[in-house]
Amino acid sequence: MSRDLDIKVHHLTRVEGHGNIVVNMKDGVLEKAHLSIVEPPRFFEAMMKGRSFHEAAIITSRICGICSLGHQLTSLVTTEDALGLEISEQTVLLRKLLVHGATLQSNILHAYFLAAPDFLNVGSVFPLIATHKDVVLRALRMKRLANDIGDIVSGRAVHPITPVPGGFTRIPEKAELLEIKRRLLEEALPDGLETIETMKALAGAIPQFERETEYISLKHADEYALYEGDIFSSDSGAVPVSEYLNVTNEFVVDHSTSKHAKYNRSSYFVGALARWNNNHAQLGPEALAAADAMGLKPNCHNPYMNTIAQVVEAVHCILDSVRIIDKLIENGLKNEKPNQTPTRYGRGVGSNEVPRGILFHDYTYDNKGNIVKANCIIPTGQNLANIDDDMLKLVPEIVDKSKEEITLNLEMLVRAYDPCISCSVHMLEVDFIE
Amino acid sequence: MYFLLSAHAGSRLHRIIQMNQLTVIGIGNRLRGDDAVGPLLIDKLSSQTNPGLELIDAGSDALGLLEYLEGHDKMIIVDACKMGKQPGELVCFDPTQASMILVDEPLSLHGLGLAEALRMAESLHMLPEDLKIIGIEPYSIQFNGELSAPVQQALKSAIDKVHEEFHRVTELIEA
Repeated sequence: MSRDLDIKVHHLTRVEGHGNIVVNMKDGVLEKAHLSIVEPPRFFEAMMKGRSFHEAAIITSRICGICSLGHQLTSLVTTEDALGLEISEQTVLLRKLLVHGATLQSNILHAYFLAAPDFLNVGSVFPLIATHKDVVLRALRMKRLANDIGDIVSGRAVHPITPVPGGFTRIPEKAELLEIKRRLLEEALPDGLETIETMKALAGAIPQFERETEYISLKHADEYALYEGDIFSSDSGAVPVSEYLNVTNEFVVDHSTSKHAKYNRSSYFVGALARWNNNHAQLGPEALAAADAMGLKPNCHNPYMNTIAQVVEAVHCILDSVRIIDKLIENGLKNEKPNQTPTRYGRGVGSNEVPRGILFHDYTYDNKGNIVKANCIIPTGQNLANIDDDMLKLVPEIVDKSKEEITLNLEMLVRAYDPCISCSVHMLEVDFIE
Repeated sequence: MYFLLSAHAGSRLHRIIQMNQLTVIGIGNRLRGDDAVGPLLIDKLSSQTNPGLELIDAGSDALGLLEYLEGHDKMIIVDACKMGKQPGELVCFDPTQASMILVDEPLSLHGLGLAEALRMAESLHMLPEDLKIIGIEPYSIQFNGELSAPVQQALKSAIDKVHEEFHRVTELIEA
């Protein structure tokens, strides 16, 4: 079909000229299909230079209110790598608990507040409050529990304060952990099971679109990797985290102020679906049953299914948090001091799986423990090329639909990745009623 | 008066203090120029030890605000707001007096801000009965980690405004 299409969606951020979906087709030939976005880490190096190793994680946790814990933990492991700081098993377990809380919160909010309104075709979460109040309250209840995990383990949910290089300045009480365990089992697990039912009912509305791509995530021998592991590509296997630059290969494109990334192909996918594809065999039976119930199969190539992979991970995070709490208590909580005595000064690279995908920090310290060089590669930056490649395949496949439907399909595609826009303005805009 | 009440937290007095309590929530990104004004106001108020004020730095995740609404009758939210005023100009308003611009179809959780959080809270009947917003018009929200001169000045007025509101709600209860 010879068709002209000119789609521009400008509402992704309130920063003019950034975060737009642009599609241009002339006489049936697709000339352009891409997402342009602001590059959050542009200010990163300037912000980090000269900072001491005590400050690095505090600063990075404040880049973004939504990705706060992810940046903080990755910053800590990067500093520990650079300064040769060993950490205890207890510290690792507590951090894994924090990662589960943050993943649970982000995945649930994404599924309920962004994806579900699409699947129900209601535009936004607001109409759902009137029609499905119980569902919205369930989402908020799960968010609250996830936040409370953050509060108890890290001192404060918004900008965690107790996790520092080398450990924690304060550890939670046994009674606090047991209360979280009780709520995980008595509140979050039933809510998680209800969530599966809700998503199962909506799964029919997920667009059927397939594009096989390269999936990149952490991979760990013993567990579904979120906190630690090697970088793993579905095309070419494992690479040590220290060699991340060989994987990310950032490059500049004309249409975006953010750099794109590619490894074995023109683009790769990071996030819940990549983790699922690479590591699903390491999930427990409950999470696997959840995936099965919602129609998520191994080696899934439909990017819209990222949301379903997030819900599967939410179930995993709930149950694995219980396992971690049991392990912490079985080991006996120890009032350890953080190990903050550097054994070397130099370069360190750290990586964690944050809700949106694999995150890298890279710092070089001078011999006074101050940063001289810093780099950060966020998941959304790595996904941009993949989103563009999805659009290039998707638009010709749905070209017979109306412009409104095509636009909605493209927006849903971008939403499936839940792009992180640290630079977006969250400022309140107000018109006074005269 | 609140100093007297707080001097001896006997059970009855303690209850009065609880009733008098005004919750102040600062929202914003500390690294992002004038957007830091909300959290910085919380820092300033923290150093003034007024036990009648409950202070919360909610950071820049506006949806997190929903966690703090329940069980609070009297609340002030302090945030940088784009109101079409002069930089540093401060407006204290009731959310019902203003039309807050919503992102109807955000493409990301990052697109949800204070307007969306307040709309959600209103629909869920979670809004405190006495809620004021102190909006401060920013000059710049670049990532530079410092307040502009006009907003630095506005920070002082905002503190006065919080105290004024505190007296208003205290008197309201006593009347």
